[in-house]
Amino acid sequence: MYELLIAPFVDYGFMQRALAGCLMLSLSGCPVGVFLMLRRMSLTGDAMAHAILPGAAAGFLLYGLQIIPMTIGGLVAGVIVAMAAGIVSQLTIQKEDASMAAFYLISLAVGVLIVSVRGSSVDLMHVLFGTVLALNDEALSLIAIIAAITLVLLGIFWRALVAECMDPLFLRSVSWLGTPVHFIFLGLVVLNLVGGFQALGTLLSVGLMMLPAAAARFWSARVGPMCLLAILIGFLSCVAGLLLSYHASLPSGPSIILSAGAIYGLSILFGTRGILNTRVRHHRHRTA
Amino acid sequence: MLKTLRLAALMSVITLSPFGLAAAQADGLNVVASFSIIGDFARNVGGDRVNITTIVGPDGDAHVYEPSPADATAMAKAHVVLVNGLHFEGFLQRLVEASGTKATVVELTKGITPLEFKPEFAEEDEGHETAEAGAEHDPGNIDPHAFQSIANAKIYVANIADAFCAADAAGCDSYKANAAAYAGKLDALEKHVKDAVAAIPPEKRTIITSHDAFGYFEHEYGLVFRAPEGISTEAEPSAADVAKLIDQVREEKAAAVFVENITNQRLIEQIASETGLKIGGTLYSDALSPADGPASTYIDLMKHNIATIKGAILGS
Amino acid sequence: MTNPCLVFHDVTLGYNRHPAVHHLSGTVEAGSLTAVVGANGSGKSTLMKGIIGVLKPMDGEIVNAGQASIAYLPQQSELDRTFPARVIDLVSLGLWPRRGLLGRIRPEDREALTKALSAVGLEDFEKRPIDTLSGGQLQRALFARVLAQDAELILLDEPFNAIDAKTVVDLVALIKRWHGENRTVMVVVHDLNLVREHFPETLLLARQPVAWGNTAEALKPENLLRARRFDEAWREDAPWCEPEDNHADADGHGHHGHSHEHDGHRHSGTHAA
Repeated sequence: MYELLIAPFVDYGFMQRALAGCLMLSLSGCPVGVFLMLRRMSLTGDAMAHAILPGAAAGFLLYGLQIIPMTIGGLVAGVIVAMAAGIVSQLTIQKEDASMAAFYLISLAVGVLIVSVRGSSVDLMHVLFGTVLALNDEALSLIAIIAAITLVLLGIFWRALVAECMDPLFLRSVSWLGTPVHFIFLGLVVLNLVGGFQALGTLLSVGLMMLPAAAARFWSARVGPMCLLAILIGFLSCVAGLLLSYHASLPSGPSIILSAGAIYGLSILFGTRGILNTRVRHHRHRTA
Repeated sequence: MLKTLRLAALMSVITLSPFGLAAAQADGLNVVASFSIIGDFARNVGGDRVNITTIVGPDGDAHVYEPSPADATAMAKAHVVLVNGLHFEGFLQRLVEASGTKATVVELTKGITPLEFKPEFAEEDEGHETAEAGAEHDPGNIDPHAFQSIANAKIYVANIADAFCAADAAGCDSYKANAAAYAGKLDALEKHVKDAVAAIPPEKRTIITSHDAFGYFEHEYGLVFRAPEGISTEAEPSAADVAKLIDQVREEKAAAVFVENITNQRLIEQIASETGLKIGGTLYSDALSPADGPASTYIDLMKHNIATIKGAILGS
Repeated sequence: MTNPCLVFHDVTLGYNRHPAVHHLSGTVEAGSLTAVVGANGSGKSTLMKGIIGVLKPMDGEIVNAGQASIAYLPQQSELDRTFPARVIDLVSLGLWPRRGLLGRIRPEDREALTKALSAVGLEDFEKRPIDTLSGGQLQRALFARVLAQDAELILLDEPFNAIDAKTVVDLVALIKRWHGENRTVMVVVHDLNLVREHFPETLLLARQPVAWGNTAEALKPENLLRARRFDEAWREDAPWCEPEDNHADADGHGHHGHSHEHDGHRHSGTHAA
């Protein structure tokens, strides 16, 4: 058992770092994912991951595979798209899903343009697939900072976030915080995706954000516990995925996401709000 | 489709090229060298009397190179064609036939003692061979990188001098003199390399590299080259792959790692920092660097490689 | 004497240059209980939205004279019923005006919430997920939230829609209790019998205010007839409203009925049946 579960992390520095990075990402990304899911913005994560691309690509082409330019570039691009989509949906008849789709597609096209001017599709792959096995000090610090910022902001704005999800009109009637909180939240989404792509690449970082959240849905009926559960599921996926990558020689990123996927599948079936518990007919019922 | 088009272009150029054939001796000896290292040798031996065209230029990969119509033209006009042989140049057979050249094709590895690939490197080269045209396989796994041994390089040079003499008797004295002078430089180079290796403690002479080209170097000068276990060119290595490489470094007490074909630079850094090795830098194995690079001639290449290796080993 | 809670100065509220509420002037007294009545599309919900500030007037202004705290129960709640929350979580949103973003929830707050839930008859529902509530139960929970807000001005937009009779009775009792506590209450209601029975004042809206005052007066048959002739639709070819066409309210009290004889001018041709 020790050999199977603990030894890989003890023996190798890169495994420890991978675990640390992944766990921190789960800590901040999974609650954000829960809110995304509850606001029916689950696919937004994916859209934002594409929207980040031109910024990160620009950073990569100008400065190479350096964390800081790529991160800043990704952040800028993501924030612009998020804000633009948010503003359009708040001020016009366009709903959030359509405005997000429009802006992320534009952004993606710009990204492809940038890369085609200088570079090839191979370079784009560099940007898409980070590797959790190569988290240097810079990357770990970045992830740590992002996790800290996320947790602090979530803590401060928790009530407003929940209220804005549950009953936005009510919130608007009692407070002016509704709109700013909405944008702060979008900012957190971008931040966590950008942090995630250093470790897992843009596409897989969305997976770590959304899958634990989606799985947690089947277990909890309250937001708070749902977020905690999502974090826990994230942790489990990280550990399982890394061990899978180690023992079965599978690529690390997909292993983590597949582990999360397995937990998701089990949740659908066996969760307290899953199929077996809600759909299967019970033979006895109570009197009240 | 593309191949057919290129062949067609090739043929059309070739049918027209005989009109460009000039008298040999008047403008100098037209020499075609198959790749940059041979080109360098030829330049040193031929001096002003030869016009050299190199087919696979600096940083090129002779294993997978696809010749162009310009190459065919040069080939057709050549008086002497210098090649490595031992199936180093995958494109050669086709080019020679297509160009219809009357020149002598000289295999410069004549006279050397061929070595076989170490088993771990053997598959690598086979991969190269299958990559193009799927033509001649060498089931014996002979390593063609004979030039990595300076002693062999001297044989190459001697063969070149002979070839030039045969094609241009008038310049023979010049060629021989040049060859002798260059051989002297190569002797100095060899001493330099041997001294450098001697300066490396014996227990630190293991290097991990994905280059399969250093068999002859290892045989001559005593450094041990091992293939990296696990890590390949795929974009996404698994944790097991990384762990295997780290284990290998620790077990074999490798002193330096050169794995430039890992596309993820940060992964190399991570492995290096975990094993306590310095990151290797670039080794030149199959071709010279461009003129502004550190290995633009053969002598520079050997000096650069040994300096880089030594630096990586002693620096970590 | 008079203690105004809300003052309307020639207010026009609408969307895209089409008025939904046209030239409303008057005062809502503090502590009054007013029913807002009118046909569909007559501007009632728009008026409420204007009062809470979600919609800005196209013309005129609404003054919250006493800086009263407002609780608003919308007609169509934007509440996400599938949101993972329990009844207690929903009701505790009502604490926002007092506790805000970061204020700690105190024991007295919890007590207030429990009391609010019992007042609406949902004592044992605290831990129930909101997606398990029936329509009536949800409406009562929302009422409990309004209770928890402890506001001075309470606006209810069609709170009795699709509610069973017993619940209606309970909620009316609650409204009367608020009235007794001297809170200002405005309720949009369709059931005129209910209005006549329980509401001392009525504002009859048909884009224009048709009548505003004592219920019996406001709901006179002539007024009802006039209100019925109101043309609901927006007309792209309607003439622009000119300043001299409206009558500014001369007195500050809200108890006079305002009947604007605009019928001949306002409608371009067709009268609503």
